[in-house]
Amino acid sequence: MAGEKTSKLPEAGQWPDRLAAVLLPLGAVVSVIGFLMAFLYAAPVNGASVEGVELIGGQMINTKLLISQKIFYFHMPVALVSFIALAFGAYYGARFLATKQQRFDTCSKIAMEIALVFVVATMATGEMWTRFEWGVWWYWEPRLTTYLVLMLIVIAYFILRNAIDDFERRGVYAAVISIVSLVDVPICFMVTRMIPSSVHPVVLRAGGMSGDMGMTVAVCMVGLLMVAFGLYRARFRQVRMAERVEALKELLDE
Amino acid sequence: MEAAIRAQKLTKAFGTRKAVDRVTFEVPCGAFLSIFGPNGAGKTTLLRMLSTLVRPTKGEAWLMGIDMREEPDCAREHIGLISHNSMLYPDLTAEENLMVYARLYGVHNPEQRVLDMLEAVELKHRRHDVVRTFSRGMTQRLSIARALIHNPDVVFLDEPYSGLDPHAVEIFDELIDAQRAGRTFVMVSHDLRKGFDMCTHALVMAKGHIVTFDEKGNLDFGEFADLYRATVGMGVS
Amino acid sequence: MAERMQTARAQRTVEVSRPSTFSQYKALLRKDLEQEFRTKEMLTSMGIYALLVLVVYGAALGQTSKDLDILQMCGGLLWALIVFTSLLGLNRSFSHEKEQGCLEGILLVPLDRSVVFLAKATSNLLFLLAVEVVAVPLFFFFFLQGTSVASSFWLMVVPLLVGTVGVAGIGTLLSTITINTRGKDVMLAVLFIPLVFPLLYACVSSTTAVIVGAEGFMDVFVPAIALAAGYDVVMVLVSWVLYDYVVSA
Repeated sequence: MAGEKTSKLPEAGQWPDRLAAVLLPLGAVVSVIGFLMAFLYAAPVNGASVEGVELIGGQMINTKLLISQKIFYFHMPVALVSFIALAFGAYYGARFLATKQQRFDTCSKIAMEIALVFVVATMATGEMWTRFEWGVWWYWEPRLTTYLVLMLIVIAYFILRNAIDDFERRGVYAAVISIVSLVDVPICFMVTRMIPSSVHPVVLRAGGMSGDMGMTVAVCMVGLLMVAFGLYRARFRQVRMAERVEALKELLDE
Repeated sequence: MEAAIRAQKLTKAFGTRKAVDRVTFEVPCGAFLSIFGPNGAGKTTLLRMLSTLVRPTKGEAWLMGIDMREEPDCAREHIGLISHNSMLYPDLTAEENLMVYARLYGVHNPEQRVLDMLEAVELKHRRHDVVRTFSRGMTQRLSIARALIHNPDVVFLDEPYSGLDPHAVEIFDELIDAQRAGRTFVMVSHDLRKGFDMCTHALVMAKGHIVTFDEKGNLDFGEFADLYRATVGMGVS
Repeated sequence: MAERMQTARAQRTVEVSRPSTFSQYKALLRKDLEQEFRTKEMLTSMGIYALLVLVVYGAALGQTSKDLDILQMCGGLLWALIVFTSLLGLNRSFSHEKEQGCLEGILLVPLDRSVVFLAKATSNLLFLLAVEVVAVPLFFFFFLQGTSVASSFWLMVVPLLVGTVGVAGIGTLLSTITINTRGKDVMLAVLFIPLVFPLLYACVSSTTAVIVGAEGFMDVFVPAIALAAGYDVVMVLVSWVLYDYVVSA
């Protein structure tokens, strides 16, 4: 009987944790390499162009080479990683709904935490870019809008978790919100992107990436994914250990 | 005779805490089972699992031979629940309230059935009054009618006496007594004397486990009360 | 006493057969409507709230020029009014169910959980539409008299309808969640507004497009309505599927 109970205690420290210990510093190194590549390897490209000539930051501009474009090499991978984390949050949420095992609720919660970290980073880098390319701190541009909404949803997710005491109810509601938000975010992007705006000037960007740009983005992406995974496992280990302590306390009480 | 309720290692865990831990028992049709135990012993969780409101984490339960995990909807046809919440809409009349449930359960000739039930709980004269204006005792009587509208085989009583004055308790007991024929009852109550008098089977729980489960014939109230006190003491420490 | 025993025995022959999903849906919807007709609680509170928001707009728009500014803003203002009014209504829609544990009573009935969702979403939709029928003409009365509203303005019925369906759908799911949380009023707004944002954006665009009626307004109106309708379909489906988990938790 005692053996049966101990085997059901929350556990952590299996092989992914050992992998995470390697991946976290490695990811940091790769990200730094990507960072250097952004400045040293990738060629500068044209920034945004506006229709005609406009006054931005006290200068008449139609198109120019911008050093601020370099942030794109971080901005885009960070945004993608945050969305991947959100997708994992919803995936584990669905697993929790199917099994009602605490483990999946924990996974879902931590994935959402990682998503929050990366969404905030996306917002920060996006803001800088907006400031220097368009001369304003905020502009209701599709990607920025989507990420603002995404950030609000992820914050709402944690407010909701804090407002419920019952373990199972909290898990179910959190899982439902994580799934709904995963569905909501692409719709939000489509809506803000595809409805033509009649009021504001349309800001166009020349599409396509050259090889050196793609390479730099890929390196940053790989590095950041490793960092995200490392953070996820580290946090997972910490939370699981805390849960294990709680479970052991319960056992001792009996 | 077929068992009305059979539970096999029924377990409900909230996170790592087990509210009900491997509970196994069986009661025959027509029995009256009283569940006793201190606060937090898992009585209400057990009752809610048996009435399909809470899904068990592990284990199995059969109600009138129906597997409750596989076919909860079939089991629900046989279940009535009376709790300290009336489950009645305060802004609807007595008749409208019963009609809602009669229609949901698909009772044939619902108008007649509702009138019969109102008569049985002696509320026919108030059937057009809004439930908000009812006294606690009347509301509780109406909630008996609500729970029995579809003629369930198993009736669960979750602390049905809370908030009732002695007179209302008396009427309530009479009504329950009148509905005993052929039905199985399961009651969770803090009132040891009353619960023991009414029951045919007694079950004592503490910390999610069964401490005692027996037919009343094998138990003596004095001994039972001592045992219960010992259990409660264990729960409190 | 003996007499009662006999009635009790007579009752043993009650016939029960599982009704169709549709008749269960009707029973639940009818219950909501009966309740509302008796108390008129939701309609009056939402109606008065909408009127008060309009009064606030009156102060907020005191300095705008009559024609151009207000026409381009009115879609947004109207939808802000609808979103805040529906928040109020959605918050209340489950308070009756929770008050005396009625929701548990309904869950004890053998029925498909999604019927509960559909019935509640329908009653919320009907109440919201009823309030809009009053609030939208009032909005025109207060702010759009004597302005050059395009003749295509009647097309705004489409975004109003599509938008309200979406609000009622996702709102019913979210209010079922927030009724069990601490600080439920704020909680609903915190979840509802970001999740409904895409729908809101699409509805504002299409409403503004038809009211302004600039050349080629259909190029905005049609994709916006299509996206709003897409949002409705996806979100109502997701809510419908997930509702079982939410209401049983």
